[in-house]
Amino acid sequence: MAALTLVLESLTYRYAGALRPSLHEVSLELREGEVLGLVGASEAGKTTICLVASGLAPRTVGGTLSGRLLLDGEDTAPLAMHDLAGRIGIAFASPATQLSGVAATVYEEVAFGPMNLGVPRSELIARTEEALSALRIESLADRDPAQLSGGQQQLVAIAGLLALRPAHLVLDEPTAQLDPAGTAMVAAALAGLAANGASILVAEQKTDLLAGICSRVAAIDAGRVVLDGPAVEVLADPRLTDLGVAPPAAVRLRRAAAEANLPAASLARLADAIAEVPPR
Amino acid sequence: MTTVLAVLSGGLLGPAILAVVAVVLPALIGRILGRLLRTALLLSLPIAISVLLVNLFFFPAGREILFQVGPITATAEGLGFALETLARIGAISGAITLFYLTTPPSELVLDLERRGVSPRIAFVALASVQTVPALVERAATITAAQRARGLDTEGSVWRRLRGVLPLAGPVLLGSITEVEERTMALEARGFTHPGRRTLLWWPADSARQRVARWLLVLAVPLLIVARALGWLGWLR
Amino acid sequence: MDSARWTRIAIGVVVGALVGLGLYATGQVWPLSAAVGVIVADVVYAGLSLAQTGEWGPMRVAAGLVAFAAATYIGIIGFGDFGDANAVDPNTFANTKAANSWALILTVAMVIGAVVTYGLELAQTGRLASLSRQFGTRTYLLMAVGIGINVILGQTVASALKIPIYLDSIGTILVGVLCGPVAGALTGGLGNILWSYVIPPPFQYQPAAAFAIVAVAIGVIAGLLGRAGFLRPRPNRPPAELLAGGAVTVVLVGGLTWAAALAYTRIFETKIDLFPDPAKTDLIFVLLGYLAVALVALAVVGLFALLLVRRDLTAAYVVVAGVFTGIVAALISAPIAAGVFGGVTASGTDFLVAAFRRAGADVYAATTGQGLISDPIDKVTTFFTVYLILSALANRFKARFPQGEQVLEEPSA
Repeated sequence: MAALTLVLESLTYRYAGALRPSLHEVSLELREGEVLGLVGASEAGKTTICLVASGLAPRTVGGTLSGRLLLDGEDTAPLAMHDLAGRIGIAFASPATQLSGVAATVYEEVAFGPMNLGVPRSELIARTEEALSALRIESLADRDPAQLSGGQQQLVAIAGLLALRPAHLVLDEPTAQLDPAGTAMVAAALAGLAANGASILVAEQKTDLLAGICSRVAAIDAGRVVLDGPAVEVLADPRLTDLGVAPPAAVRLRRAAAEANLPAASLARLADAIAEVPPR
Repeated sequence: MTTVLAVLSGGLLGPAILAVVAVVLPALIGRILGRLLRTALLLSLPIAISVLLVNLFFFPAGREILFQVGPITATAEGLGFALETLARIGAISGAITLFYLTTPPSELVLDLERRGVSPRIAFVALASVQTVPALVERAATITAAQRARGLDTEGSVWRRLRGVLPLAGPVLLGSITEVEERTMALEARGFTHPGRRTLLWWPADSARQRVARWLLVLAVPLLIVARALGWLGWLR
Repeated sequence: MDSARWTRIAIGVVVGALVGLGLYATGQVWPLSAAVGVIVADVVYAGLSLAQTGEWGPMRVAAGLVAFAAATYIGIIGFGDFGDANAVDPNTFANTKAANSWALILTVAMVIGAVVTYGLELAQTGRLASLSRQFGTRTYLLMAVGIGINVILGQTVASALKIPIYLDSIGTILVGVLCGPVAGALTGGLGNILWSYVIPPPFQYQPAAAFAIVAVAIGVIAGLLGRAGFLRPRPNRPPAELLAGGAVTVVLVGGLTWAAALAYTRIFETKIDLFPDPAKTDLIFVLLGYLAVALVALAVVGLFALLLVRRDLTAAYVVVAGVFTGIVAALISAPIAAGVFGGVTASGTDFLVAAFRRAGADVYAATTGQGLISDPIDKVTTFFTVYLILSALANRFKARFPQGEQVLEEPSA
């Protein structure tokens, strides 16, 4: 069996009706169990990369794509969206719009994806319960999804993806519309998933969150990948601010301390202390 | 639903008998007669009052005068026609209410899907039912926000109208533009997968329910034939 | 749309109008002449399209229309005659039998028409491309939202405002225009059935299901008008073109109104008098006359204001679409309102029905008259609302719907 990789190979993508492409020659590679953070100003192309990487563009949103999207070594071009559904999952910023809108309970909501794919009933139940426990939301199983908080809804949405048992996850600003409590909830869940070996592509404004969970970070500007490397290096790169991305608090603090000539030892202790603080 | 079809072929007594047999009896067995009557009355009261007033006073063929209120006359023919219509509406309303009280939307749709209705149509039906409270909630949120910004939602009709117009826009547009992201989320979860879905559960169906259903279905052609042959004159 | 297609449409309309007028001149009743004229126009257009471009689509639709008309005609001959005085109950004037058979005949005829159109497509191409093209995840979701909007606005207008219009077809027309006639029909029909049986109170409206066939017709018409590009923005046109468009609209709207009025007076042998003599007529009709005139005047003024201020020619198209849809909806819904509900449906339209009955009209004439007043006003308002909604949506969003390209502004030549 081939390695579980997600490879974007010089992808150029243009939305239907748009004059210019939104992505130019984007190449990224996610190895098994890797968490790749995606940063960039708004409109830089983060969402478009997520749509292309999940197969939604061009299948659902139209437009024209050149280059190849390789899933576990296989070219995805001939596959339909429902073929991809069990192999790659995508979550969006707004919690409410990701819910099916037809499930009366969280349990049914989480089961919605595998129900569509027609998996046998016994496996359906096993998958649903596994997904609920992976995000520690078993206690919500009988609640009405519409009545939950934003953070809880986002966890339910992610559980709904996990029930499809995809090898890869794409998350487009999963905490953008959440309050600090909701963000902490989702961050903890992502860290747990990453520790269990899922490979995750996560686009985020909140670099503090990325610093906590990513092994690699790529920066996007005007539809092109401009930085790609280990998370520690990219997040500390001075060019990040010019791209419209605020570096993590720890990095900003280290810079401020360096300018103020604080001793290196207390600097490291301060940075560690900051890293302990849960991301906003 | 069958009741509605059957009602179309009755006179005054017809619907009344039908209402007793097909609505009150099952409700009694199901022990929801009280709730049934309350809800049916509440829902059909406005229409019943309209029917009564309009026909009682404005019936053109009315000759037998019952009483007069100023320039308006109440006629016996109008009353008769109103009662006939009321019996029909009562039976329809009772049947619909019985159906609503005994059948939660999700159970109905799951059962229809199990019986071979397209899962897509089942989805549209369930999603529409859930859209109504969602739209109301959205409107309530926006109203609260606008009131907080000092917009007048009480007061004269014109001022309220000016408050409602900027409200209707965001409510409608918001729910329409959401369609794009919901489309992506659904397709990412295999919505377009061809073939049947796995159902998590479905409502039980007893032998008694099946017999009752077939009896009602059979009653429709019987009534139509009987009416066409003029056997139902005694119901008038 | 290319000019060759407009030429084909024009030839079809002229031939159809000649045939219709010829029939009328030789003493046929007007509804039959009009129906035959419309069918001839469509068949001529479809034949020309097939001969010139090899497109089978219009011909299949024409075959469906012919089948629908034939089924309706056979149904009327066989089961119910509108004009038959003996069929009207001498006691109540309510022609329940005709009303029920009318609704049933139309339903069966619509099914037959649809089966012929899509059966031909299936037989010829082995697929149902024109049907499946209208449906996708996006369409299903918009249908659900559309049904929700129908129910919310319809219920508010019917139960709270008590004005004699409905506003319960904004969602149907939106789906029809963006996704196609079958999607629009399904939204309308399914929506009305859910509104009766499934939607919980206080938003439940029990009479709705009986009018499902009307909503189906509205959805089909909206889909066809949308496909023909009726709601495409046409801003910043030269004043001469705008004035010409306005004039054509007034003539068309006037013609439709005249036809509706004629239909009303011919079928029910009564007279319409906008400014009746207050000494001889009921006060309510005097007021109603003024109100109707004021509304018509307002619509015409609003139309020309839109044409001249925004310089958007589509305002004219919107009015034509609304009046046409309204008249069709009124003619289908009147017998249902009369036969099933005795003319009373617990909404703002009741007082209009009461007024007509007070003036001596039977249930039938009263609901038809009410419909011919309420529906065109309602549908023009609805089409305007849909046009406003569409112009507030992003082009990228609209373009992804099956008929989305037809509501985008054409790139200037």
